[in-house]
This record gives sequence, structure tokens and C-alpha cells, in this order.
Amino acid sequence: MRLILTAAALATIPLAAIAQDDPIRNTIEARQGFYKMLAINMGTLAGMAKGDIEYDETGASLAAANIEALAGYDLPSLFLEGSASGEVDGTAALPDIWEDMDDFRAKFDGLREAAAGASTAVTGGAGNVGPVVGKLGGACKACHDDYREKG
Amino acid sequence: MSDGPVKQMGAIDEVRLWDPLLRAFHWLLVLFVVTSWLLGKFGPDQMTLHFWSGYVVAGLLIFRLVWGFVGPPPARFSHFIRGPGAIAGYMRGMFLRQPSYWPGHNPLGALSVIAMLAALAAQITTGLISDPDDYINVGPLASYVSSATRSKAVGWHGLGSTLILLLVLIHVAVILFYRFWKHENLVKPMITGKKLIRRR
Ligand code: HEC
Ligand code: HEM
Ligand code: HEM
Repeated sequence: MRLILTAAALATIPLAAIAQDDPIRNTIEARQGFYKMLAINMGTLAGMAKGDIEYDETGASLAAANIEALAGYDLPSLFLEGSASGEVDGTAALPDIWEDMDDFRAKFDGLREAAAGASTAVTGGAGNVGPVVGKLGGACKACHDDYREKG
Repeated sequence: MSDGPVKQMGAIDEVRLWDPLLRAFHWLLVLFVVTSWLLGKFGPDQMTLHFWSGYVVAGLLIFRLVWGFVGPPPARFSHFIRGPGAIAGYMRGMFLRQPSYWPGHNPLGALSVIAMLAALAAQITTGLISDPDDYINVGPLASYVSSATRSKAVGWHGLGSTLILLLVLIHVAVILFYRFWKHENLVKPMITGKKLIRRR
């Protein structure tokens, strides 16, 4: 048993090292992590809007502030040339992104606009969360429709 | 082929073929399938209307399923779903430039009817379990399937919409083929219920 564990531990070292060195893998993992963070905070807000999660003003405001912060990040820089689906495995980023980087950026700006002021907009009652989720969700959809592989 | 497969049979009569509910079903289906499709592709980001329009289609399909067993004979599945022999037999007369005078869906057309109904049922199923990761248009049953399935469902739903478009285009093309090649108007019977058929 100990032998197997040691072997397994040894085997992961070079793999981890390779992963660290591969800028394409890194960029894909980073942007997917970015989207997961968006998703987690959206999950909190959507849950409160629907009543699945009990509304609390601080929690809602924090989740919205997280999304605002994420929207300030230069996400398009994580879309390195050569990291499209079809070129490498494990990504759903369509090659169209690189064909029209300006429009892709515009879609991300759409999220930034939707997120502006969200952390205050969600305060004051559960009823205020729904419209914010609607605006943010529309920005997610607009980009996924064009630039994310389905399924 | 001097006396073709349809020639030596009985007299032609006008009969009440399609009952009012079946006709209402068809034209409501057309309305709501087109509405669902257009809202899916071009509708607002918040897809509430698309969902509701899809639910109406679901209701219509449930009605059609029941009607296929308890409705008047021409509406019943057992009346128009036929084997390969009947289909081949029908196809022999298919390109004759004369009306089929068929008393219901013909054996070949039945395949198209079933394909459309099945594709629509599948479309509703994939829609109900879709999760496009936007937190606003999540299918109400998405949480009951695995996360891999609910993201794949989005892809299936997109493919399904193309399939439905194709089936409907074929459907309408064939109706036009009957109208202009076979000189048989199938649309009027779907509106008035009355059709010229050959007794056999
Ligand atoms: C500017 C375009 C854009 C916007 C805006 C956007 N997404 Fe995405 N999203 C993508 C792309 C492209 C991918 C595929 C990334 C990949 O696989 O490399 C993706 C993937 C995801 C994933 C899957 C990540 C994974 O685990 O692989 C989630 C979840 C997600 N997005 C959620 C969201 C949410 C929630 C929002 C809105 C708050 C949003 N996205 C806004 C483009 C966008
Ligand atoms: C979204 C579009 C459409 C869908 C989904 C659809 C679906 C169907 C279905 C399911 C049937 C079988 C009826 C039954 O027994 O339940 C049918 C029959 C029929 N449809 Fe449509 N239809 C569409 C559009 C149209 C249009 C635009 C026309 C007119 C040009 C049309 C004309 C007919 C006719 C005439 C029949 C009867 C065919 C026969 O005599 O066997 N349909 N359609
Ligand atoms: C007759 C029934 C339906 C038709 C014809 C239809 C058609 C469509 C079409 C054309 C799209 C756009 C797909 C794309 O551009 O890739 C779409 C998207 C969608 N539909 Fe439907 N739909 C139907 C029923 C439903 C139902 C019942 C639901 C859910 C309850 C649903 C949920 C969705 C969702 C969530 C999307 C967005 C997927 C995405 O973001 O790509 N649909 N539908």
C-alpha cells in the first residue's frame, strides 16, 4: 500500500510540474476558475432571488461585490492564442473568439456594465436581487450563445 | 401501368376526416412551435416566454398522445402507422400525377408525423433539463440530472432545434408537392375537416 502511495505521489510530481510550465493549460485553467467564481456568486444571488437561499443583505452585497471585482479583471488576456477548442482538449472556448476579439471584449464589457453598482442594488430586500440577476444573466447568455461550445 | 395501383378502386366521396380537435391541435402546434423556435433563437435574454411557449407545445403533445388512442379512427396511431410493406406499396403510386384520395395520413406521411411528434417531445425533454450556466434560463428539471447531462442537454437542444426545422421544411415541401404535382390540396381538409377520399 505504502509502495503504491509513494509511486502515485512520485508520479504526480512531474505531471504537476508540466502543468505549471504549459502556458496554454494555465490560461485555460485560470479562465475556467474565473468562470467558476462568477458562477458561485451568481448561484448565491439567484438562490436568494428565487427564495431557495434566505436573503441576507450582507451576503447578497458581498456576492455582488465579488462579481463586480471579477468583472474588473482583464478576462480577455486569459484567452491566449492557441487555446481554442479544436486546438486543445478540455476547453469550450470557440475559435470564433479569436476571429472577432473586439466583439468578445464587447461581450465582456457587457458583463462589466451589468455588474456596475450591483453590490448596492441588491441591498434593501430580496425583491431587489431578481432584477440584478436578470441583468447579469443576460450578459452571461449573450457571450455563451456566441463564444462557448454547447454541451 | 395502364391501370395503376389507385385506379381500379372504388368511388370518390367527400367525408368528414379530421375532427375539430385534431385540426385545432395542428394549427395551435404550428403557432406555438414557430413561436418557441423564434423566441429560442431571437427572443429576449430572459427566456420566460420561450419556456411558456414550450410548455404549451408540451400540453399539445400530451393531448395528441391521448387522442392517438381514444380519438376518432383517422386520428389514431393504429390507423396510420403501418409496416414496411404498406409503405412500399404506397410509394409505388407516390409520383403519379393524380391525387392519392387517401383516407387519413398515408403510410409514408405517417413516418413524418411520428418523426415530428417525437422530435418535439425530445426537444421539450432536453429543454426541461438544460442548464446554460447563465442563472436565468435554467430548465426547471435541470437539478434532477447530473451536471454533465444538464450542460450536454443545451447542445442537444440546439441540435434538436435544427432537426425540427428540417422536419418542418420537409413537411411543408411535401404538402406543396401534393398540391402542385399530385393536384391534391391537403391543407383545406386540415382546415375544414372535409376531404375527398376513395372508398376501398
Ligand atoms: C465574454 C464572454 C463570457 C461572459 C460574459 C461569460 N462567460 Fe461563461 N464562459 C465563456 C467561455 C468562452 C467559456 C468556456 C471557457 C473554457 O472552457 O475555456 C465559459 C465557461 C463558463 C463556465 C464553465 C467553466 C468550467 O468549469 O469549465 C461557467 C460555469 C460559466 N462560464 C459561467 C458564467 C457566468 C455565471 C457568467 C455571467 C455572470 C458568464 N459565464 C459570463 C464566456 C463568457
Ligand atoms: C411548425 C410547423 C408544423 C408542424 C410542427 C406540423 C406538424 C404536423 C403534424 C404533427 C401533423 C400530423 C397531424 C396529426 O395527426 O396529429 C401534421 C399534418 C399536416 N400538416 Fe403540419 N405542421 C407544421 C406546419 C404546417 C404548415 C405550414 C402547413 C400548411 C402548408 C401544414 C399542413 C399540414 C397538413 C395538410 C397535414 C395533414 C397531412 C395529411 O393529410 O396527411 N403543416 N402537421
Ligand atoms: C417546441 C419546443 C421548443 C423549441 C422548438 C425550442 C427551440 C429552441 C431554440 C431554437 C433555441 C436556441 C438554440 C440555439 O440557438 O442554439 C432554444 C434555446 C433554449 N431553450 Fe428551447 N425550445 C423548445 C422548448 C423548450 C422548453 C420546454 C424549455 C425549458 C423548459 C426550453 C429551454 C431552452 C433553453 C434554456 C434554451 C437556451 C439554451 C442556450 O443558452 O443555448 N426550450 N430553444
